[in-house]
Formats: sequence, structure tokens, C-alpha cells
Amino acid sequence: MGGKVTCTLGEVKNRADFIVYWGGNPAECHPRHFTKYALIPKGKFVPRGRKDRTMVLVDIRETKSARASDIFLQIKPGKDFEVLTILRALVKNQPVDRTQVSDTGLTMDQLQDMVDRMKRAKFGVFFFGMGLSMTRGKHMNSAAVLTLAAELNAYTKFVAMPMRGHGNVTGADVVMRWQTGYPFGINFSRGYPRFNPGEFSTIDLLVRGDADAALILGADPGATMPQPCIDHLARIPTIVLDPKVTHTSRLAKVHITTAATGISAPGTAYRMDEVPLPLRPALQTSYPTDEQIIRRIYDAVASKPDWMIHSGKMTSAQI
Amino acid sequence: MRITGGKVYDPAHGVNGVVKDIFIKDGRVIDSPVEGRTIDARGMIIFPGGVDVHTHVAGGAINFARAMTPEDHRRTTAFIRSQTTRAGIGGMAPTTFATGYLYAGMGWTTVNEAAVAPLSAKHTHEELRDVPIVDKSCCVLLANNEILLDLLQDGECEQAQHLVAWYVWAAKAYGVKAVNPGGVAAWKWGKDTGQMTEPVVGYSKLTPAKIVSGLAQIIDELRLPHPMHLHCNNLGAPGNLATTLETMRSLEGHRAHMAHLQYHAYGGDDWNSMRSEAPALAEYFNTHPNFTADAGAVLFGDTVTITADGPWQHLLYKLTGRKWGNIDVENETGCGIVPYTYRPNNLVNAVQWAVGLELLLLIDDPWRIYLTTDHPNGACFWRYPEIIKLLMCSDFRKECLSQLSTKALKRIHLAEIDREYTLYEIATIMSAGPARALGLPQKGQLGTGADADLVIYNEDDDVQQMFGHPRYVIKGGEIVIDEGEIRATPPGRGLLVKPSYDETIETFLRPKFEDYYTLSFDNYPVEMERVEQPIFNNCIESP
Repeated sequence: MGGKVTCTLGEVKNRADFIVYWGGNPAECHPRHFTKYALIPKGKFVPRGRKDRTMVLVDIRETKSARASDIFLQIKPGKDFEVLTILRALVKNQPVDRTQVSDTGLTMDQLQDMVDRMKRAKFGVFFFGMGLSMTRGKHMNSAAVLTLAAELNAYTKFVAMPMRGHGNVTGADVVMRWQTGYPFGINFSRGYPRFNPGEFSTIDLLVRGDADAALILGADPGATMPQPCIDHLARIPTIVLDPKVTHTSRLAKVHITTAATGISAPGTAYRMDEVPLPLRPALQTSYPTDEQIIRRIYDAVASKPDWMIHSGKMTSAQI
Repeated sequence: MRITGGKVYDPAHGVNGVVKDIFIKDGRVIDSPVEGRTIDARGMIIFPGGVDVHTHVAGGAINFARAMTPEDHRRTTAFIRSQTTRAGIGGMAPTTFATGYLYAGMGWTTVNEAAVAPLSAKHTHEELRDVPIVDKSCCVLLANNEILLDLLQDGECEQAQHLVAWYVWAAKAYGVKAVNPGGVAAWKWGKDTGQMTEPVVGYSKLTPAKIVSGLAQIIDELRLPHPMHLHCNNLGAPGNLATTLETMRSLEGHRAHMAHLQYHAYGGDDWNSMRSEAPALAEYFNTHPNFTADAGAVLFGDTVTITADGPWQHLLYKLTGRKWGNIDVENETGCGIVPYTYRPNNLVNAVQWAVGLELLLLIDDPWRIYLTTDHPNGACFWRYPEIIKLLMCSDFRKECLSQLSTKALKRIHLAEIDREYTLYEIATIMSAGPARALGLPQKGQLGTGADADLVIYNEDDDVQQMFGHPRYVIKGGEIVIDEGEIRATPPGRGLLVKPSYDETIETFLRPKFEDYYTLSFDNYPVEMERVEQPIFNNCIESP
């Protein structure tokens, strides 16, 4: 397992005749996704738009998105990995244990119907949300859906895409990758990038109390992270750059109000399919941009004596 | 600055190991003595800085490869930040800053990013800004662009020409790349193209051969300084020599740069009978001066393959069972990523290794074949000194041949080739030749007015050591590498060309965007501000 078989959203718009949302509620969380990219638009090879597409929703509860679906598959909580693995087996005509099927909350008929439809599709797509990627099994669930999509390419065209959100999180991921090789959870304490999710990722660092200062940019962990993280952020010098008052800014020692990117500051945002989009401000503001603030902080830090040996070489003792 | 006593190799001026002084002022080579620092280069060898005509160092594809190979980052060279350098990671898919340091550290000062989807060209340019020291150009992928293919099918050649020019400028590119013409478009339905003269999936009349010749003609008409940069159909497949020759025959009368030719010179019917057809391809190539090529040589070891050739990467995933990344780009192209290990005991890999070297040795004009590994596909660019050694030392080649199986030896011709490259020829394939193919008159030479990009080596019988560890590297008149230390990291410049087109093409395109894309026409072109220190090259007077 590994990798990702995906496409840009225009491919979905123009070709996809079979669309699966898994563990996500786009009707409420990505309200333009149906209309702009996935479900409604008429496309080059799906000229009748919604009529030419079949939409399946897989989730543990009947969300508002279920109303938009042709087929709703309600599975038992925490059984995503099992359902995906059974689907992978059925795709390859492998035998499946009936009791394992009944544990998932779905019937064999439902699963076989899903497999038949997937194979019959001309162009299928999985959009998976945090209901898959952040519940029991986590990255193994993501790997399972990505592998299912990859393996379906032996029969037809199939792709998968995570339903990313929260502002420009994809942009952060893309930039960190080109500068450090890693998307997130990067530790620079040795002077070069290291990556170990679970050890260096934000929640783990905060829960362990390893961080002794925090600079928070374009995020509101005070609203979403576990309580021990929030408690630690309140204990240490936390600096927040945000256009508005947030849960995090309230517990921070310093809140610098910045211009809202895309409204009053220019920039680039990466769409969930990693297509870069220019942001042009519609309004003017007297607030500085995030970039201006970070540059000033950087220059102030850079003017201090370097803590490393100037040649850039470190001794083994330092490393 | 003045560099005295060095033995100069400057093939563009026929200078072959002549001891002469070089004077540099304001970033350029001048012909009269100047004030300033003097470098005593006695006992040293001076080359124009290396030019990589075909590499993948920035943009969505390589960035996808970085994401897919954390296990390599962990074991490879780390770049520790210092007062002059940024932190980074080397290895199979180096990070941007490290890419600049690694290229410059080896004496390469200009690179051509060979495959850019115009849709994500903004991303590519943002990455290229973060590749320091080296100057950069890029080629846009157009041979599977559906709007263009529709025009070619309908015989709307003039409109197609304006469209190509518009895309080059919109992407702030330098040249045009064609990858598996028609095949990537077919991959949008999970298919590939078979024959050059059969219609592409989804088209009634349009064939790969028509796309290739149509695009080559457009690029010649536009007088772009770099010819069509072509990745032929049927890459990597046994018996693909026939496709390659058929493609080349369809290009008579046009210029073309044949990318990573190694992957297109195989005989045999399947993986078991695959063999080298390098002699046949070299023979055709030698007698057809309208072509240039880069080797796309393979070295044994781990790497990650990245290409816009989506169907090929699906096959490679099925063959290897390793990770597979794929991105289909709306209207334009595709992209596939598969980590790969070339092994000497694998018959196919052994043939590939030999074919790259055979082409470099059998193509007799070093001005037309260039040193590349199609980084990172055949091997990583920082392994170029190994290839130089293989080219310069036939004894070393024979030693390497001994690790191949007798079965493999029967499929290749390397053992029969005694040619050894001279330093002059190496300077040609690594710098002068590729600079000329790219149409960069200021690069790859050390005459008056040239960019002062040069590399100085301590003369050494161990050529791999010599080329891997330059004594000095000078970029734009500034010493950037001094005995393995990175002294300065000036930003590299962006090389651009603006072909002319009829502005009314925008009236044709704007409504198409509603159907073919998911972003607005006005958000599509790359803004000039995204290109770092742009340098404009002119279109040529005649193709």
C-alpha cells in the first residue's frame, strides 16, 4: 500500500459518472463541492450533469449529504477499514467471511452491488473526509481507500481525493514538502528537517509539554485540539496571527491582528487538488499581512547571534 | 575577477585544453584584464558551467514524489542550515534549496525543468524561486491538451499555433514538451495509444503521428529557441525502437529534441526477450541532423520515477507492486510516480543501463547528445560524475559489465565499444551542447559576453572524483562553491521567451475555460511577479 491515485477537480467535473463520498458531509462542510465540481455540473463527457452521475454516501450517520445521494451506505462506527478491505476482496473475486460482513452494518448484497457499480463506472472517484481519516484506524483507513482506488484501475478508471479544508492547509502541505520533503510534523531542532508523526506532530508535542513557545498562523487549535493541548498553549507564550478573535487568540499571550488573506491581502491558495489559485484582495485594510509580520519577526530573530557554528557544520556532540 | 593558468575547455569556441586567462566583470566574461581577485588555476581544468537540458526539479510531480518517499529522506544526506544555506534533504527527490546546492556543488549552473502542466505552472515557478544559484527554464506539456488536440484534429493549424504560443506565455515557460502524444489523453479513460497511425482514444481522425508532426511544425513556425522537447510514445516498452524510428521519420524537415532516448531504443517482443537496439537508433540519428537528444541514462540503485506518462506508470506499478501516485490534470496532461530500484541482476535493468551508455558512445556528434539521467527517473542528477567516468574509461565499463549476467551480455553491445570520451567531449555533452539545444547563447561557453558561469576542477586521473568535487564553481561572476563549501547562494534567474500570437486567441479560449477547466480564465496565467529575475531570450530567426 502507498501512494495516491488522484486527479484535479476538473477531471471529476468532466468525466466522473460514479462518485463516492466516504466519511464526509460535503453538503455542510464543503457546500460548493457538489455544485462546482462533483455532482451537479454538466461536463464534457457527462453532458446531463447530475443525471449522468451516481452518488454514493458512506457514513456512520445520515447527514444532510445523504439527501443528495442515490445510495446511502450506513456503516457501523469504526468499521471503515473492514468495509474497505471487504470491497478490495470482492473486487478481486476473493471469498469473504459472512460474519465479518454483518459486523460492518452492511449486507453482502449492498457490498456486491457497490463493487459491480464501481467496476461498471467509466470514471469513478472516492472523496474521503475526516470521518474516515481521523477515526479509528486513521492513516490505515486512508491507505485502504487509496489502495482500493488504485486496484480498481485494473478494471476501469478510478481516483481518490481527500476532502481537505480549513483554509489553505493544502498550501501549507505543498510548501513544506518542497522546502523540507515532508508535509507536516517537521522538527528542525537539529538544523535539518526530520519527520515523525506521533512524535513531532503538533498535538503530540503539546500534550507532552515539549513546546515552550507557540506561533500560530491561520489556525484555531484552541477550538479543535484536545484539552491537554489547549491547557499547554495557555501555559506557554503563545502568539497568534489572525484577522479575528478566536478561541486560541483568547488564550494567547499576544494576538496580532492581520489582514484577511483573500479579502484584504493577496496571496496564493492551493485547492484540495493542489491547483494553485491567486487570491486578489477585494478590500483595503490598514492591518499588516501575515507575511509582513512573519518577515519582521524573522528579521528580528536573524539579527541575533546565530546559535550554531557559523560554517554550518555541527559536531557529533551537537547533533 | 581574473582566473589565470587554467586549462580551458570551451567547445563553443573550439578551445580544447588551452591554458589561458579568463576575465570576469559584472557577471560576464570579458576579453581584457580587470581589477579584483585573481584565482590561480594552475593545474586546474576550466569548463563552462553545466547545463541540464532535461530534469525534474520543481512542481507538482516532483513534489508528489517527495511526499511519497519519506523513507528515503530519512536515510539520505541532510542539509543543515547555516548562515548561507537553508535546511533541506538530498536523496532521490531533493528539496528545492538542496537541489540548488547539489547542482551548483557539482558545477551545473543552468537547469531546464522539462515537464510543467500549465495549470500548475504557478506552483512550479514558486518552487523554482526556492531553487537557489542555478538559472532555470521550463517546458510546458501540450501534446495531450484537449483544446489543442481538437484544433489539430480539425486541421486548424493557425489557431493551434496561436494557442501554443499563448500557453507558453501564460505558463511563463521557455519551451514545449510533448509526452506520449495522445497516450496521456487516452489514459484519462484508463487507456494508452497503440500505434502511431491509429486514432487516439476519443478522437476520430487524430493520431499520435499527427500530433507529433503538427506540434513540431508549430514550434518551428513560432521559432522557439528550443525545438519540440519530445518524450515519444511507447516509452520503456520492449520493441519500441519501431515507434521511435517511425516518430523520427514523421519529423523530417522539423527540429526536435528527443528526450531520454535510452527509454526508446529497445528491441524484443516482451520483457524476457528485451534487448538493446542502440546501434540501430544511433545509426538513424547520426544521419539526421534535425535531431538532438539527451541520454536519460540509467545507473543501478534506488530512485523514484516521475513522468507525465500516466499509463506507463500504471504498468510500472503493476510490474513492481510498489507505491503508485497518479494525478490527471484537467484538459492538459497526467502524472505518475513509482519508486523504483534498478538492479544489475535484472535483465531489463541491465539492458537499460547499457543502452544509455551505448547511445552516448555510438552517437558520434557530442553536440547532439547530452548528459542526463532524466532525473530522477534513470538515476539522480547528483550521480552524473559516475556516468562521466563510465564514458571516459572503457576499462571501468568492462569492470562494470562483469556484474551483469551472461544472458544480459548477449542483449547489449557495450562490450564491443572501445570509444572513450575526451574532456573536450565531456564539456560538449554537459554544457556547450545542451546550451545550444536550448537556444541559450549566453550559456555553455566562455567567450566574450558569455554569462560568467564556470566550473574549475583540480586535474585528477580519477574523473569521478574530479567531476564530483569541483575546486571552484562560479555563477554569474560570483564564487558560489569553494572547495566543497557553499560560499554564496545568489538567487537563480528565470529564463523566458515570449512567442508572438494573435490576441484574439483569448476570445476563442475564454469561453472554452468554462467547459474545460474549473478555474477562471483570468486566474489562469502565471503573473510576471512569480518569476525570479526574468531574462528574456529572443525567438530565433529561422528554425
